[in-house]
Amino acid sequence: MSSHGFLLAAYVPGRSLIHRVPLWLKFLLVLGCGMASFLIADWAVSAAVLAMLCGLFLLSGAGPARLLRAVRPVLPVLLAIGAFQWWQLGAPTAARIVLNILVCVVAASILTATTSVQALLDGVASLARPFRRFGADPERFALTIAIMLRSIPFVAGAYMDVRDSARARGLERNPRALVLPVFISTVAFARQTGEALAARGLGEPEDPED
Amino acid sequence: MTQTDHPATARTPRRRSRWNATDLGLIAVFAALVAGSALIAAIPVGGLGVPITLQTLAVMLTGLALGPARAFAAVGLYLLLGLAGLPIFSGGRSGLGVLAGPSAGYIIGFLFAATAVGWLAAVVLARTAKRTGKLRPILLFAGAMVSSIVFIHGLGILGMMVNAKLDFSKAFLADLAFYPGDIIKNVLAVSIALALHKAFPDLLLRRVRTADPRP
Amino acid sequence: MSSIVLDRVRVRVSVDGRPAPKTLLQELSLDLTERRVGVIGANGSGKSTLLRLLNGLVAPSDGTVRVDGADTVRSVREVRRRVGFVFTDPLSQLVMPTGREDVELSLRRSIRNGTERRARAESVLERFGLLPLADQSIYELSGGERQLLALAAVLAVDPAVLVLDEPSTLLDLRNRELLRRTLAGLRQQVVLSTHDLDLALDMDRVLVVEDGKVVFDGGPAAAVAHYRALSAAGLPAPGGGPAGGGGLDLRGGGLAGGGGLGGGGLERAVPEQARLEQS
Repeated sequence: MSSHGFLLAAYVPGRSLIHRVPLWLKFLLVLGCGMASFLIADWAVSAAVLAMLCGLFLLSGAGPARLLRAVRPVLPVLLAIGAFQWWQLGAPTAARIVLNILVCVVAASILTATTSVQALLDGVASLARPFRRFGADPERFALTIAIMLRSIPFVAGAYMDVRDSARARGLERNPRALVLPVFISTVAFARQTGEALAARGLGEPEDPED
Repeated sequence: MTQTDHPATARTPRRRSRWNATDLGLIAVFAALVAGSALIAAIPVGGLGVPITLQTLAVMLTGLALGPARAFAAVGLYLLLGLAGLPIFSGGRSGLGVLAGPSAGYIIGFLFAATAVGWLAAVVLARTAKRTGKLRPILLFAGAMVSSIVFIHGLGILGMMVNAKLDFSKAFLADLAFYPGDIIKNVLAVSIALALHKAFPDLLLRRVRTADPRP
Repeated sequence: MSSIVLDRVRVRVSVDGRPAPKTLLQELSLDLTERRVGVIGANGSGKSTLLRLLNGLVAPSDGTVRVDGADTVRSVREVRRRVGFVFTDPLSQLVMPTGREDVELSLRRSIRNGTERRARAESVLERFGLLPLADQSIYELSGGERQLLALAAVLAVDPAVLVLDEPSTLLDLRNRELLRRTLAGLRQQVVLSTHDLDLALDMDRVLVVEDGKVVFDGGPAAAVAHYRALSAAGLPAPGGGPAGGGGLDLRGGGLAGGGGLGGGGLERAVPEQARLEQS
């Protein structure tokens, strides 16, 4: 289960200035950078914003290696996009589009590198609190998110098991045989999880009188 | 299907006002399934770098398996967490920046396609409950194709036009590259969904007694 | 001790395409007051259904189930506070990424104050010797450690009854031993199903379930002997029966079809899964 550190490993405990910035401010930063991609029209501005964000990231003490690791998965795709846009629309536009995507990636990394999953969940639950009047239930919402996060390693493991067993039995040519067990075991897992929650008195809707 | 005097349509999940713990489990795990599918073997296609993954398979299957409401919740949860910064979009991307990228339309399209195919699946499964033969898979496949053409491809083309500044004909051509894969993935999704409904008969159309301990 | 009373309970489900509902549990009245109750029987015999009745995971089609007077359908909340349930596979039961968080989750309903909750979780983990593992990912723990953690998370809210569905099936010998000792030390009333006859022999009373019916009810030694006889009855004699008449002819169906494993093999696996799901 090589992917199990995935999502959770990104967090680097620390006491830097960036760690101590309130969560909502970091949320705002990520949101703002998302907007910026629509608004910034000049690649030089994008480059400056990117440089500033990289500086902030390094200030958190997470280190350049982590920054590189956060950016690396997008690089091949960005190269392809950049080359295509260069050919279609010229170098400045291509640079702007690529840099703006990098801005968003780095901004999100600042958030995830300096916030634990528990803190993120608490943040989400409190964000959802105002929706209570519309019938939302922040506790159950946060619980669902927690189950999703903890299910990703299971799902990744199931995908990998199936791939391995398919290799062993030489079933590569039958895609249904390849993926069906993943989904059968995933649904069984989901229902066991739901049943286990119910058995513990968790996740069931609150009675109106509560 | 339940053994009652009511017609089958009376049991579609729309009638339930609250989800129980099993529903939460299904929503969460299918959201994880969509996330997991985005992370294995992404292949950039057509030079534009919108990667092909098993993701559309997982998205359509979520609708076919869970029906409209829970599929909307599952794919919505996935989108929400991805946009909030978890690296669960294809290629490990995340954040609102994705909305500015060329695949933005596809990602938003997932939500609508899963909901639409879920609604169609609930109707088809209820109406063909008493029939055997090829009708059910054919209708489900048609529903999946319509949902993915309208929402995933439609919004996908729109997204490329807005974000990558392509004109319609170029975006349309770029999108065409996904069709062969999508047809195969929809065939797969339908055959898997049918197997799931066989294995878990109360997954979408519920049994009264065992699945729901509360009267 | 709590009192668990099943009064003329029947469990039936209707399955797609079948004219008559399938009976999972035939009419059954029981009064479970012993401290340690075991349920043994073949796969699919109705053991799990019987256990799931006890905390409202399965509702009876007819009759009532009461735990200390609380009806499992009408007062399902109350019943679930009273009856803790431990599943075979702890991974489906542990919700949070680490043990500490999972125990705290259990306590969320009963203790509103965060500091108090953390202290209580700490003491529960300590009691089970899990403190050193409390902050590890549940995926990094061994099967035995996970099962112990699932047990701790359920016992954290101090239920009066503990129901365990085949708790030792996924454990190795050493961890089974650990589980047996842990269970022996609990002051809760315990009801468990198991294939582990050693564990069954630890009980005060053992029910043998076969085809949705309790076919034996009594002391553990007699129950296990009954179950052994029952299990041996349906099998061909050792050494094989008359040629061609046996049930294990591999030439016919099993391995034929060669490359067709993808299609046929999975088709057959699916109804099997459906059957398991109902049990």
